[in-house]
Amino acid sequence: MYATADMLLTSPQAPAAEQSQETVIEVALVRAVLAGDREGFARLYDLYAPMVHGILLARVPRAEVDDLVQDIFLHAFKKLHTLRDASAFGPWIAMIARNRAVDFHRRSKETVEISDDVRGSDTHDSRAKEILELIRNLPEAYRETLVLRLVEGMTGPEIAARTGLTAASVRVNLHRGMKLLRERLGFMEGL
Amino acid sequence: MNDDYLWDKTGQPDPQIQQLEEILGTLRYQPKPLQLPRRRSYFPLLAIAASVLLAIIAGAVWLRVRSRVEPPKQQVKVEQKSAQPEEAPKPPVNRSAANQPLLATNRIHRKRSVASVLPKREREEAMMAKEQVMLALRLTTEKLSLVHRRTQIKNQHKVG
Repeated sequence: MYATADMLLTSPQAPAAEQSQETVIEVALVRAVLAGDREGFARLYDLYAPMVHGILLARVPRAEVDDLVQDIFLHAFKKLHTLRDASAFGPWIAMIARNRAVDFHRRSKETVEISDDVRGSDTHDSRAKEILELIRNLPEAYRETLVLRLVEGMTGPEIAARTGLTAASVRVNLHRGMKLLRERLGFMEGL
Repeated sequence: MNDDYLWDKTGQPDPQIQQLEEILGTLRYQPKPLQLPRRRSYFPLLAIAASVLLAIIAGAVWLRVRSRVEPPKQQVKVEQKSAQPEEAPKPPVNRSAANQPLLATNRIHRKRSVASVLPKREREEAMMAKEQVMLALRLTTEKLSLVHRRTQIKNQHKVG
């Protein structure tokens, strides 16, 4: 079941209707940045930082996320000239974020991670961390989509347009991920 | 379960999803300014290099004008003077004392030659060339100080 949903992720194109406006802005901004407009990159950052934040939050400890977001955008700024298709900035930076998360775990294998729960103080915050932990234990395709939807507040079409996934695969991931999350939340009190 | 609400937040809201959004919203991305690396400006370096080049050219022009002005006699005189000790070696004398009058003589001779040997027209040309070189150097200095000031202002803006 999971493998089938994951396979849908491989398609890089989302429906043109949903992507068109995003793509036009994205292409214009990428071209402006390549022509030397640094403000353009600040706008790309504003547009895509929540997505990168969500992708990282689904994979690495919360305390590391903000620094990694900055690192990823700095890396993207330096390597933007290597982006062949200006309309693919979103999928490109999403891939950088996923790779950076993998690198993070590879490098921090030997260090002891301080769990987010250890530092939790207020009840609302600690409950958020508990639920996030449940999402992180879901299959990878579901956890990223669910974090972007429930934490970052993006809609399904927005997730599809920015990450480059198909709307169909995002919909399937949201539906199945939510179903799994509900099952696991059944063990928690108060929800 | 309301799929539309989960998909694009339309339709009838699902209370459980709303509750999850509310709780997990505390972890949402908080906008922070991106610190891009400073763009390295090569303009001051280029300006300095251009100024140095200009100064070298000006110096070369000035030397060329001067060499035209000076008669080649001096070299001959110096050679003759340096050849003399070989023929009749003098008793060792204090070197610095011996050289001083020679240097002094040369300096006086040069001044005199520039002032008196040149015809009026050439002297005027030389003076004009000198004025041009001085003007070029003055301009270079002004440009350098302008570049320096601009760089300082830029840096202050960046820091601010």
